[in-house]
Amino acid sequence: MTIALLYILLSVLIVISIYVIISRNLFSVIISTTIFSMVCALIFLLLDAIDVSLTEAAVGAGISTILFLSTIRYVDIIATDTKKSAVPIVILFFLLLISISILIYDLPEPGKANVVNNSQATKYYINNSTTEMGVPNVVTSVLAGYRGFDTLGEVIVIFIAGISVLGILRNTKGRT
Amino acid sequence: MKHHTVLRIVTKLIIPLILLFGLYIQFHGDYSAGGGFQAGVIIASGFILYNIIFGLEVGFSILSINMTKNLMAIGVLLYIAVGFMGIIQGLNFLEYNSLLSSSKEGQLLGIFLVELGVGLTVSNVMILIFYSFNNMGEKL
Repeated sequence: MTIALLYILLSVLIVISIYVIISRNLFSVIISTTIFSMVCALIFLLLDAIDVSLTEAAVGAGISTILFLSTIRYVDIIATDTKKSAVPIVILFFLLLISISILIYDLPEPGKANVVNNSQATKYYINNSTTEMGVPNVVTSVLAGYRGFDTLGEVIVIFIAGISVLGILRNTKGRT
Repeated sequence: MKHHTVLRIVTKLIIPLILLFGLYIQFHGDYSAGGGFQAGVIIASGFILYNIIFGLEVGFSILSINMTKNLMAIGVLLYIAVGFMGIIQGLNFLEYNSLLSSSKEGQLLGIFLVELGVGLTVSNVMILIFYSFNNMGEKL
């Protein structure tokens, strides 16, 4: 049942991305990327990755849509100057799709016990998180506790992103 | 959007729920799904909704650009300060064992403070990016 639903959602993703490629109306492209993010969030939810799903729904469908809609005020909504046909891009899309689908077979199956990624560290975190950290949610204890240094790097990356946006956009009209 | 009465009323009703949900994700992250990053984005989206409906001037009077800049730096500094507390007490960087008397409570407090720093930084960076996209070249 879950697998069937997963395949349906994945084919919806393919349909949405083809529409994004061939559409000339930027507004409907933005809305379809929002739908793309929501379907992605659903897929993550089906794969039991609740934290990732929450992030995808909030960032992909929420914030980035608002930012795209804020920038669309400064450009034309319908791309009129491009008279080229979308056929080469669609062919490129299908080539990429086929090659990535072939490559996916080399990935290990998610959640298998004998894969190297799932062998030692994961087992340690699952067994010792409650006794060492007192935190029942293993994701939180790994993110903020065991792997706190990585999360510090992530936070600094977000901080630098904010500073960069401020630095790029503050000089647009010649003011300091 | 001064003349959209329905939008204004619904926004007024829904914003407390969004902020409350964000705080729940933030402070209940130890027990259920979520954490600082997700909570920061949800709280930021509540603020951004308010700004869209009621105008940027009203938004600036609640949370000015300078305030968002300061708060996002405070979030990173809070994270690093918690890390240095470990070094001061003779442990490794970002080791929370001796923040409180018992090791488990120290871990809980450390994770709580770290997630608070992440939430502060993420929410204020998102609000700042929204402000700068919608206020090009003015007041920044």
